[in-house]
Amino acid sequence: MNAARRAAIVRAIVAKDLREFSRDRLWMVLTPLMLVFYVGILWLLPSTVDESIDVGVYARGLGGPVGEALASDAISAEQGIDVVLFDDAEALAAAVIEGTEVEVDGQKRSVAVGIAFPDDLAATLAAGAPATVTVYVDAAVPAEIQTAMTAFVREATYGLAGIGLPVSQAEAELIVVGEDRVGAQISPQERMTPLIAVMVLLVESMALAGLVAVEIQSRTAKAVVASPASVGDLLSAKGLTGTLLAFSQAGLVLLLVGAFGYEPLLLVVALLIGSIMTAGFGMLAGSAGRDFMTTIFISMVFIIPMAVPAVAALFPGAASGWVQLLPTYGFIETIVGVTAYGQGWSDSVGYLLMSSVWCVAIFGAGWFILRRRVEAL
Amino acid sequence: MNLRIAWQVLKKDLRLGPRSPILLWAIVFPLVGTFVVQIVFGSLFAPQPRLGIVDEGGSQVAAEMAAVEGIDLRLLDEESALTQLVRDNDLDAGLVLPAGFDEQIRAGEQPPLQFFVGGESLASNRLILAVTTLDAVRSVEGTTAPVEVELVASGEPVLPMSSRMMPLLVLFALLIAGVFVPAFSIVQERESGTMTALLVSPARGVDVLAAKAMMGLVLAFLMTLVTLWLNDALGTQPAALLLAVLVGALMLAEIGLLFGSGAKDSKTLFALMKSVNILLFAPVIFYIFPDWPQWIAQIFPTYWIINPIFEVAIQDAGVADVIGQLAVALVICLALVPFVVLLSRRMTQQVVAAA
Repeated sequence: MNAARRAAIVRAIVAKDLREFSRDRLWMVLTPLMLVFYVGILWLLPSTVDESIDVGVYARGLGGPVGEALASDAISAEQGIDVVLFDDAEALAAAVIEGTEVEVDGQKRSVAVGIAFPDDLAATLAAGAPATVTVYVDAAVPAEIQTAMTAFVREATYGLAGIGLPVSQAEAELIVVGEDRVGAQISPQERMTPLIAVMVLLVESMALAGLVAVEIQSRTAKAVVASPASVGDLLSAKGLTGTLLAFSQAGLVLLLVGAFGYEPLLLVVALLIGSIMTAGFGMLAGSAGRDFMTTIFISMVFIIPMAVPAVAALFPGAASGWVQLLPTYGFIETIVGVTAYGQGWSDSVGYLLMSSVWCVAIFGAGWFILRRRVEAL
Repeated sequence: MNLRIAWQVLKKDLRLGPRSPILLWAIVFPLVGTFVVQIVFGSLFAPQPRLGIVDEGGSQVAAEMAAVEGIDLRLLDEESALTQLVRDNDLDAGLVLPAGFDEQIRAGEQPPLQFFVGGESLASNRLILAVTTLDAVRSVEGTTAPVEVELVASGEPVLPMSSRMMPLLVLFALLIAGVFVPAFSIVQERESGTMTALLVSPARGVDVLAAKAMMGLVLAFLMTLVTLWLNDALGTQPAALLLAVLVGALMLAEIGLLFGSGAKDSKTLFALMKSVNILLFAPVIFYIFPDWPQWIAQIFPTYWIINPIFEVAIQDAGVADVIGQLAVALVICLALVPFVVLLSRRMTQQVVAAA
């Protein structure tokens, strides 16, 4: 049989499988609905990172470099602190304790930390007399921020009292290691995008597993290979159906969240590798040919560890060595690299190669086991 | 409904239950879920500033930093390892304290502070770590601060992330045991033909569904309590807790019946679950993000069972505090009854017609 004839048979089986899915009205309604929910969840997540602490300051009595810096707006959010100046100490206390919003430059602002320097602070310090600075905090403010604000106040007044730094050139010694992402941090939305895409892929492996299991249980697989279609045609068709289902849905999710704006081809390749790999998992799980529940259970055994690299990408830092050994790590890292870090082909080629090797191994294993199962029917 | 027949069906399910993978999931989940949520996700949404220190001379600064609450401190032996961890964003900042650093500080020699930050660290974390480190150096210097700082705290502290993740864990336990178990059991009975066999016996559809609901309810009730116990969140009001969990298990078991009797086969059930479950889970997201408008969570039916359990288990609320919410939950349960009846009749007709 020539290649064109084989392709026609595979196409017919794929069309039959897809038709079967499309005839299920509930599946047709709920699957797009699920994608909408996923996209909705992504859009709900913050698309920016607020990396500064909003601090209200009443500093009429504060001179020196810190006082001048506050008055001149020299301290910016990029330095980790966003200062809201108050003219009235009582208003500052109310803003923190009662959560009253204040209007700054036409914008409503709230502060969770307030620092009230006494009016006569400079004179008191000059006279060597004791002084007290009040720091108001909302109890919800984490302990480390409360500690840091207390330390910040002390440090500000050391300068005011003419006491220098205990270390030299602290500013010059502050070295930023790696690309400085202050002001351009990876947002929760960007961190979550690969996880959602991978979850869509992995969940669709269950759909293929279910389809394969039903065909084995009902022995329709045997009937198909008794026709002009060979076992190879059947397996190619199942692999193609699984890949199509997974790729189209994950691709749609990424498209709807605008992830294809940068290196779309690279993203497509990574998704395709992931889709073929998940089709392999679906064939493996489905070849058991058991009831739907057992098939789902077997699929979950694959899905949970395979989702770990996507979960690991949510956290800062490099993934552990064992996570990097997982088959899904390579294509997930590529998706993370493209969607969150703006990486290109040169950064991702290693991951793609690694994933491709795993992909061939898993799809091959799925093919081999499913073939034996179909032949044994 | 014939209680004796329902009991016979339930006994059969309990006897055959251990063979079902979903029952295994329902039992294993509290352990796995607790581990994953508490260990893996616990630090996701409220990351603490992470500082690495290479202390080459037993500096007091390292001891001072270790005592600071809310800073995740890691001591390392090599500067190169520290730099690598900072570069990989495994740490927000690194500090190298050479031998004799404290002595130089006390002698007023102003040694250089080898403090470096990771490119991906948040600006706020950089500030926190830098200013806290400087404060620790000041304490080694022995200088008295020119001012006293009075800290005035107000309001209620935000619950730790481990507590805010509790509704997610509880809902998972309720969902797997209360929804998955009865729903899959009903669909499996239909697909394997045993439902037809049951319906030609004196058992009616309602007896079978009552047995399935009872199994889901009991299992959901027990597994929710196990989940809460594993997370040390049984609260101080046992009566209120048992009542809240019971109402929760009831609602989820009813949803399990809806799913099971509404789905014609496993594939449909799977499609139903992968989409509708997002709605069931929606309220728990609002506990994780307390800044979000909390009223939105009340739109979802599961809020009215999860919130009472949360308030009793975490905030030690009593029956009087949650009775109103539980009443709303019971009204929702009552409102679902006609749908259960309708779908179960339809299912019975379909099974009979197919036979």
